[in-house]
Amino acid sequence: MSNQIDKDNFEPKIVAFLCHWCSYKAADLAGTSRLAYPTNVRTIRTMCSGSVDPVYIIKALLDGADGVLVGGCVLGDCHYQSGNYKARRKMIILHAQLRALGIDEDRVWLRWISASDGVMFRDVIFEMVEALKAKGPNPMKNPWDIWKSAKGGWKPKTINSPRGE
Amino acid sequence: MKKEIRIGVYICHCGFNIAKTVRVKEVAEFASKLPGVVMARDYMYTCSDPGQEQIRNDIKEYNLNRVVVAACSPNMHEKTFRRVVAEAGLNPFLYQNANIREHCSWVHEEGATEKAKDIVAAAVSRVIYHQPLETKEVEIKKDTLVVGGGIAGMMASMDIANGGYKVHLVEKTSSIGGHIIQFDKTFPTLDCAACITTPKMSDTGSHRNINLLNYSVVEEVSGFTGNFQSKIRKKAKYIDQTKCTGCRLCFDSCPVVMKNEFDMMLADRKAVYIPFPQAVPNKAVIDRREDRPCKASCMYACPINTNVPGYVKLIADGRFKEAYMLIRSTNPFPSTCGRVCYAPCEVACDRNNIDKPVAIRDLKRFADEQVDADDLDIPEIEKTGKTVVVIGAGPSGLSAAHDLAMLGHSVTVFESLPQAGGMLRYGIPEYRLPKDVLNKEINYIKRLGADIRTGVIVGKDVPISELQNDYDAVYIAVGAQGKMKLGIKNEDLPGVIEGVSFLRSAALGENIPLGRKVAVIGGGNTAVDCARTALRLGAEEVTIVYRRTINEMPAAPEEIEAAKEEGIKIEYLTSPVCFMSEEDTLSQMECIRMELQAPDSSGRPRPMPIEGSEFTIPADTVITALGQVPETDFTKKIGIALGKNGTINISTETGATNIEGIFAGGDAVTGPGYVIDAIAAGKTAAVYIDRYLKDESLEWRPEKQVKEELTETEITGLKNKYPKIERAKMPELPVRERILGFKEVSLGLGVNEARREAGRCLAGQIEGCIQCGECARRCGVNAVNLNMKDEIVELDVGNIIVATGYDTFDPSVIKQLGYKKYDNVMTSLEFERINSPTGPTGGQIRMKNGEVPESIAIVHCVGSRDKNYHEYCSRVCCTAGLKFAHLIKDKIGADVYEMYIDMRSFGESCEEFYNRVASEDGVKFIRGKATSVTDKAINEEEQGKLIVSVEDSLIPKMLRVPVDMVILLVAMQPRDDSDDIARIFLLNKRADGFFMEQHIKLGPVSTMTEGVFLAGCCEGPKDVPDSVAHAKAAASEVLSRLALGKTEIEPTIAIVDEDICSGCGLCVKICAYGAPSIIEPQHRSHVNEALCKGCGACAATCPSGAISHKHFNFKELLSEVEALAA
Repeated sequence: MSNQIDKDNFEPKIVAFLCHWCSYKAADLAGTSRLAYPTNVRTIRTMCSGSVDPVYIIKALLDGADGVLVGGCVLGDCHYQSGNYKARRKMIILHAQLRALGIDEDRVWLRWISASDGVMFRDVIFEMVEALKAKGPNPMKNPWDIWKSAKGGWKPKTINSPRGE
Repeated sequence: MKKEIRIGVYICHCGFNIAKTVRVKEVAEFASKLPGVVMARDYMYTCSDPGQEQIRNDIKEYNLNRVVVAACSPNMHEKTFRRVVAEAGLNPFLYQNANIREHCSWVHEEGATEKAKDIVAAAVSRVIYHQPLETKEVEIKKDTLVVGGGIAGMMASMDIANGGYKVHLVEKTSSIGGHIIQFDKTFPTLDCAACITTPKMSDTGSHRNINLLNYSVVEEVSGFTGNFQSKIRKKAKYIDQTKCTGCRLCFDSCPVVMKNEFDMMLADRKAVYIPFPQAVPNKAVIDRREDRPCKASCMYACPINTNVPGYVKLIADGRFKEAYMLIRSTNPFPSTCGRVCYAPCEVACDRNNIDKPVAIRDLKRFADEQVDADDLDIPEIEKTGKTVVVIGAGPSGLSAAHDLAMLGHSVTVFESLPQAGGMLRYGIPEYRLPKDVLNKEINYIKRLGADIRTGVIVGKDVPISELQNDYDAVYIAVGAQGKMKLGIKNEDLPGVIEGVSFLRSAALGENIPLGRKVAVIGGGNTAVDCARTALRLGAEEVTIVYRRTINEMPAAPEEIEAAKEEGIKIEYLTSPVCFMSEEDTLSQMECIRMELQAPDSSGRPRPMPIEGSEFTIPADTVITALGQVPETDFTKKIGIALGKNGTINISTETGATNIEGIFAGGDAVTGPGYVIDAIAAGKTAAVYIDRYLKDESLEWRPEKQVKEELTETEITGLKNKYPKIERAKMPELPVRERILGFKEVSLGLGVNEARREAGRCLAGQIEGCIQCGECARRCGVNAVNLNMKDEIVELDVGNIIVATGYDTFDPSVIKQLGYKKYDNVMTSLEFERINSPTGPTGGQIRMKNGEVPESIAIVHCVGSRDKNYHEYCSRVCCTAGLKFAHLIKDKIGADVYEMYIDMRSFGESCEEFYNRVASEDGVKFIRGKATSVTDKAINEEEQGKLIVSVEDSLIPKMLRVPVDMVILLVAMQPRDDSDDIARIFLLNKRADGFFMEQHIKLGPVSTMTEGVFLAGCCEGPKDVPDSVAHAKAAASEVLSRLALGKTEIEPTIAIVDEDICSGCGLCVKICAYGAPSIIEPQHRSHVNEALCKGCGACAATCPSGAISHKHFNFKELLSEVEALAA
């Protein structure tokens, strides 16, 4: 049906939270090494994978991201000793919660990408784009589209932080 | 009122780097329409001066209060632009970077512009929420930690130390110097590596601002820039470095032989060692890797503390002469003790807990049999001019004479019997201790200079008072020669012979009237010796009569066993009552049975006769072996105090009698005893006689090591770890042959049996030092302390330089190159050692068989520029190969083949050096990679050679080059432990495994961790000049920070809103640094700013949202997410 056609032309949108010390540097290295990969990914720099609040991930999914990548240092190599282990624990809980809500948890990936591994960063993006293309668009995307203004006329909204900032 | 947000956006072209794929004007146009954006521009180079000026002007002109620069990665220029906005009066944290180069233009073509717009939009929506943050300044601690003592570490340390700042230089091996000191010469100038390095080493070692921590490793680093706390493990050296003089006396005697890492395992070193002659510090360390599994009970049990684990280990290693010399260092009678010692060591042996003790005595004899004492060199001894007289040439007297002669005193020995040896000669039968063996040992003592005068009876031929006057000191070791009486009827009958006299007569070969039936009274070794001797002298029936049971019998069990084997009967619980005669000759002996009762004063059960149990034993001859008493009456003349039975009273610790200058020991003091105890007494007396002669106090006592016992757990551990192994059995002469004469019964162990038996010793089961303590005994300054423990030193430092260097590639993984398969295929570093004057061949270029090679192939790029191993170029190999070619031509004139891929001999004077070597006769350049090395010859010319297959890509043609030696120029690669180092110092590693610098061009020594710098080859392969330049750059970074004295720390840390905090404490649990804590009585969390590293984990964990991570807070992140996801 039309679903099939959608999938063919579908370009997933990926939000990537990359830790400052390793995976962000890996993405930098992919750049300096000119390792081309699909444009589908948008990166956000965080200090540590352990500081990625699950709320950010859920927010990204609700706002229309088809997939979320969290990149941290290789286990054992965390700049903050154990932040990536904390990220892993959070991810397990988040996956369980998404599953309970009927949301496809495989849209949220956690990968350990060392600062020297630009190649891995590129490969992960290729893999993820392929996997998300197979899944099709994030079903939560549409209901939230009403928040979005006309094309090109994106406006910032007053953000009601769940944390009351 | 809320201040209006006024954002300026700058889209950088970065030349063409961004502008090539991103339509920058379109992005600027897009940005200008974003909410809050007042103006947006594009510019060719935003980071340049005019670009910066533009931003500063715009801030003022447009009254901007937020700035976004869309350019390269924040890792590149975030700091630059923060400074720019700060210069214009804005808080630097009101700036946001948009990475449209590394994350966009460089990796995308189509769609790059759209993506760049998203990135810019995200930055704009984020920057709205940015808050001004105050950067905190902290002081930088003055001390610097330098890790690694190679050329880079030394040069960096010297620069900083010369600047007046304290440096702690940590080096994991025992000497600084690194790889460069292993080299022979350095290119292109051919300076001797030692000549350029050793002055630097000694300057570094002695610099007043450098605290050298050799043999140490950094275990932990915490803190933050300018304020690091480091924990350094000073590995135990087991040698007090303040006392060690570097004299190397301890090396020779160490029984543990190991490969010297400094010589690339091509030469040996001992477990106690200094790796090379020019080491700094020039102090020994002991390479101890684990604790000895046993407690060396053997050494404590031995009266002279023979180094049993030591010589047993040497036997196991096949170093027999060294084993013998180690025994001889404490015992002048190795061959005697190897045969007749009662071996208390074996009783004590910890192996008893597993199976049977190591056959220590047999191994001693084995070691002795490998050496002829007559071939030993006599050491040169400086004479002291003092004279000592020894009375009695038995084991005690001769031991004292030996040691005193070794100490340089003139020794004269008086012996009443015709030959020296005492009981060893006249008390122990030939079949247990052959006389020629004993003669060699006595001969050695004579060769040492002892004047042995036999046939002189002191007290009769020479009065003792004369000796007292003529000599500076006297040692009385006359033994116990007096007979003891049984005190029973007819004891004076001609057929009743005293045991020791009997053995003496037998030894002298005198004719002894012996009957057919011989009874021996007694239970000691003398009784058994008498019985077995009587058998050999023709007695038909020999019976030993002993009043207790076999359990109490003092004779050695193996001797009793041997006696039984030879057909000797033993009547236990039997005591003689009287001797009966027929026609004035002995015919039989009446005996009575005994029973054992409660122990007597000696601790043994007291035998009591059973009334009415008398019986007779037919006997033509009875030999009484009841023990002897000293004959010391002659000493009374000069007033020496005697005890019961005529024993001489001495101070047991020194051997001194009541008369000054007169010492005594051995059986004359103790009554009949064992050989080894007599030797021990002689040795002790020699020590104190020496002290007496030097006017030193006799109150001095040697340091006593406290013996430890194995615990039950340790015993269980031993049993689990070490399997049972059968103890070697000493081969013996068959009984038939034995009793025919006096041939030695024990035949000695063979080489294989001995080495296998020695391998049973638990002490030798470990790698490294076996803690035998030989070094401690040799050390003249008491520097050895085997109980030393690792020490943890905590140092607070402001800056850290990591200069941990490189390892060389192990070419054995490239099987076809034949490394480790063929003797004469070696690595570049091995060749450096062979070529070095301090190396294993003393700088002679030789093949393994000692011959001079006629042709040598130098194979370039082994492990480098090779997709299978390391893709990078190791930079130094080409010129090092040229250096080798030149040195080979210079030294031995051999033909040299350089097999190279590309000749990359760059750097100052290196091209000239290349031209010089290339023009030398007999250096042939083959452009191509060597593919294999083999010894399979296919023609006459290749016979006995190593054939290197190489494609000459200039012809192009495959060649087979026959050579004698192949040098593999191996890659430089990251250290084996570089992962650990990276973790400790928070360093990143590049894909090639070396540590990552902050920026490949602009930050070559800085790292991602501020305050931690790199120097030398840990950052990548470098030659010496580059390493030094790199090190000096690192030193300059450190010095500039120290000159300023303070640094800024990022204010991007966590903060708690105490109104919201519930005091749940999750943040306290999750923080790796202990920054948050619950403050009472408010019961709220509070973050200690000094401890917080700004990772944000607590903020992501706080369930009530009370903690926020400054500059990465929820609003900032969520607005960024919203802009990107929507």
